[in-house]
Amino acid sequence: MNFCLLVEFLFLDNTIRYKRYEKMAENVDKHILKNGMVVLGEPMVGVESVAFGFMLPAGAARIPEGCCGASNVITDWIFRGAGDKNSRELGDALDGLGLHRASSVSSSNITLGAALEAGNLTEALELYADIILRASLKEDQFELAKQLAIDSVRALDDEPRQKVMLKLREQFYPPPLGRSTAGNIEELKVITAEQTGQIVKDNFNLSQTIFAVAGKYDFDSICRQIEDLFATNISTALGTPYEGRLSAEGSETKDDGRERSKYVHIDNEGAQVHIGLMTETVKPTDEDYYNARVAVSVLSGGMSARLFTEVREKRGLCYAIGARYHSLKEAAGIMCYAGTIPEKAQETLDVIIGEFERLGEGISEAEISRAKVGLKSALILQSESSSSRAGAIGSDYYMLGRVRSLDEIKNKIEQTTTNLVLDFLRNNKFKGFTVVTIGPKKVSI
Amino acid sequence: MEFKKKTLSNGLDIIGEINKAAKSTAVGFFVKTGSRDETKQINGVSHFLEHMLFKGTEKLSAFEVNEAFDKTGAEYNAGTSEENTIFYAKVLPEYLPEVTKLWIELMRPALRDEDFNMEKNVIQEEIAMYKDMPNFDVIDRCRTLHFDEHPCGNSVLGSEESVGDMAAEQMREYFSGRYAPNNMVFACAGNFDWDEISSIVETSCSEWQKQPVVRELEHCRGSKKKQRIEKPNLVREHICLMSCGVPAQDPTRFAASLLAVIIGDSVGSRFYWELVDKALAEAAIMQFGAMDGTGAFCSYIRCSSENVRKVLDTVGGIFHGLSESGITEDELKKAKNKILSALVIKNELPMGRLVDLGFNWIYLKQYRTIEDDVEAIKAVTVSEVRSLIEQLAPGDFTQFSIGPA
Repeated sequence: MNFCLLVEFLFLDNTIRYKRYEKMAENVDKHILKNGMVVLGEPMVGVESVAFGFMLPAGAARIPEGCCGASNVITDWIFRGAGDKNSRELGDALDGLGLHRASSVSSSNITLGAALEAGNLTEALELYADIILRASLKEDQFELAKQLAIDSVRALDDEPRQKVMLKLREQFYPPPLGRSTAGNIEELKVITAEQTGQIVKDNFNLSQTIFAVAGKYDFDSICRQIEDLFATNISTALGTPYEGRLSAEGSETKDDGRERSKYVHIDNEGAQVHIGLMTETVKPTDEDYYNARVAVSVLSGGMSARLFTEVREKRGLCYAIGARYHSLKEAAGIMCYAGTIPEKAQETLDVIIGEFERLGEGISEAEISRAKVGLKSALILQSESSSSRAGAIGSDYYMLGRVRSLDEIKNKIEQTTTNLVLDFLRNNKFKGFTVVTIGPKKVSI
Repeated sequence: MEFKKKTLSNGLDIIGEINKAAKSTAVGFFVKTGSRDETKQINGVSHFLEHMLFKGTEKLSAFEVNEAFDKTGAEYNAGTSEENTIFYAKVLPEYLPEVTKLWIELMRPALRDEDFNMEKNVIQEEIAMYKDMPNFDVIDRCRTLHFDEHPCGNSVLGSEESVGDMAAEQMREYFSGRYAPNNMVFACAGNFDWDEISSIVETSCSEWQKQPVVRELEHCRGSKKKQRIEKPNLVREHICLMSCGVPAQDPTRFAASLLAVIIGDSVGSRFYWELVDKALAEAAIMQFGAMDGTGAFCSYIRCSSENVRKVLDTVGGIFHGLSESGITEDELKKAKNKILSALVIKNELPMGRLVDLGFNWIYLKQYRTIEDDVEAIKAVTVSEVRSLIEQLAPGDFTQFSIGPA
C-alpha cells in the first residue's frame, strides 16, 4: 500500500495555558512563552533520541499573492548562514551534531524539524534559534536558493505521480489554500531577495509558532533555554503574517456553492495515466470526524479494504491504488491516487467512483471492525517514533488548539458503529469529485 | 535486549531479539532469493512470486489472507531485491501469534493459475509505474550496465516480455528450489514471548523439506561503460554512477558506508557543497550497497541539460581530489556522527531492529548488537578510508543517463 494513515496524537488541555508548565497526567508537557510561542513536549521512555520541530506560520497559503514558492526558497535560504556563521560553518556545525534535518512546507506552515541523539539537543536549539531569528539572508545566497526551488518545480514534470497530487490539491481547495507547496515557476522567477526577506520578517511570527519536542529530554531545561533564546527576541520577529484572507475565505468551504465536479488533464507521453481524485469531507473539529476516518478506512485502510480488493485484486487494473483522509485547518477531503496504463484508465476511474458511491449503501460489521482495529493499531505503532510524536503533537495543537490523548482517540474510534458511519455517509453524500489526470490519455467524468 | 536462536533439523533458522520495553513487535521471513538467482527466461520471477505469496494457500483465498491480516491491525508488506525477498509485519504484541501463523502459512502458497494470470496484470502495471519514475529507472538501467553479465545486473521487476511470457509452472519450480527452509530465516524483534513464538514456528515448519541451494558468488568490479538514452517527455537529466564496492561480509563495509556519506550525503557532503549548494544540480546523493560477495557505490544526480557538462566535470574533480588527498579527520568525524545518530534512531523501532537482525543473519550468520556496530563505526580511521579509495577507485565508474531529446 502506498498511503499511510494520518498521524494522530496526544492530549493537552487548553484551559491551563499560562502556567509555567505542567506535567500532564497524559504525559504531555506544555508551556507558553510571554510572546505567545507554544512549547510542547512528550517524553518517551527507553529512547536515546530526541526529535523536534518548529512550526512557523509561513506556509504556502499564508504568504502574499504572487510569491508562490517563496516558502520553499526560505527553507533553503535561512540555512545559508545565520548568527556569526556563514553557510559552510553553519552546515558543518549541524552535521557535527549528527543531526538529521527535515524541513518541509505545508499549506499553513514551514516546519523546521530534526532528529538527533539527545545529548546534542541544547547545541542544536542554539543553532536553530540563529536560523529562525538571525538568518544572514544574503542576496548572492538568495539567487542559489531560488534557482534550486525553480529546478525542483521543473523536476516535478518528470515525476507525474507527485505532480498529480499537488495539482489535485490546487484544484480541490479554494485559493489560497490549495496553492502548490512546491511553487509556481513564473512567480518564482520574479521574486526578489527583498520581498522574500520581508516574508521572513512578517511570517516568522513567534506568537503563532509552535515548538514540539518528543523523546529523551528535560522539559524544565528546554523551557528555560527556549525562553532565553526566543522570548528576548520579541521585537525581531513579531510581524503580521498574511493570513487574514486565509481564515476569511477558508473557514466555510462546505456550502459556498462552488462547483465541485472539476476535471483537469495534463498531457504527458509517459507509460501510465496518473489519476488523482478528491471529494469533500468533514474537518478534524467536526463531530463526525471519527465516522469519516472509519469510512475512509473501510474504503482504503488495509489490503482487504474496498479499493484494493475491487480495483487491484479482482480486476488487476493497478499496482498503486489508495485513498486517505487529508485535512487542512480550514477544509478537508478524501484524496485518492491510482496509476494505470492508458487502456485501463477509464475503467479504473469508473470503478473508484463506483466504490465511493457504493459506500453509503451498506458496510458489514466485519469491515467496520477491521477499520477500527487498523486505526487503533496505527496509533500505537506510530507512538514509538520520536519524529512521529513531535510532528503529531505539533500538528494536533495547530489543528485543534490542544493535543488529544491516545485514550481519547482510541475511545472515539471505539465509539463509532456501523450505523453511525452509514448515517454519516447518507447525511453527507459525496458532492462530486475533483479529478486530475496526467498521462497520454484523457478520461471522461 | 536478549538474543535467542534455534535451528530446526531442516535448516530453518529462528532468531529473535527481545525488548520487553517495546510497545510492538516486528516479525517476518527473510528468504535468500532475488533477481540474481534467476535465469534470463524467468527474469522477474522472484518479485512476481513475492506478490503471489499473498494470493492464498490451499486453505485461504487471496481475500481471506488480506482479511486475516487486517483483522489484527498489522502493518504488513513485502519487498524483493537483487538477492533477498523479505516479508514483514509491525504488530501489537497480543496479535503476534496470529500474524506469525499467517506468515508461516503464506510461505507455502497455492500458486493457482487464475491468481497468477490476474496478478500478472498488476506486475505489468508496476513495471509501467517505474518507467514513469526516471529516478528509479536510471538506477535500474545503470545497475544492469554496471554488472554487465554478472547476475546482480538482472532487473528485479523483469521486463514486460519476460513477465508476459512467464508460465505458472516455471514459478512453481523456482519456488520449490528457493523457498527451502535452509534458505530462509524467521526473525522477530520487540516485545514477545520467545518460547511461545519459537514453538509455533517449530511445530509448523518442521515438515518443510530441505533442498540443495546454490548461488554464484563472483565479485564484480563493474563494466565502467557509459550510456545515455533519450525520452522526449522528460525535462531534466537523470544521471546514475555506479562503481565497485565491498561485500556485506567484508569488515571494511563500515569504512565504505562512511565514504559514501562523505561523498554524497544529502546535506553537508562533497556532492552537496560542490553541486547542490551551488545550484548546479538539485539532487546529488551517493549510497553504498553491500551485497552477497560483492558491493557497489551508487550515485544519483539530477540537473538541467545545460549543466550536465559542468556537473560531470565537478564530479570528476571531486573524485580526483579524493584520490589525491583522501579525506580529512573533520569530515570523518561528521560522517560518523551522522551514521551513529541514524543508527540510534532507526534501532529504537522494532522494525528497524528486525531489518538489522535479519540481514546480519542472512549475510554473516551472526548476531550483532547495536553497540557492536557503534564500535565498528567509531573505530574506522582516515587511513582506512584512504586505502579503500585507492583500492576501489570510486572515480572509475559506470554511467547511465536518461534525459530529454
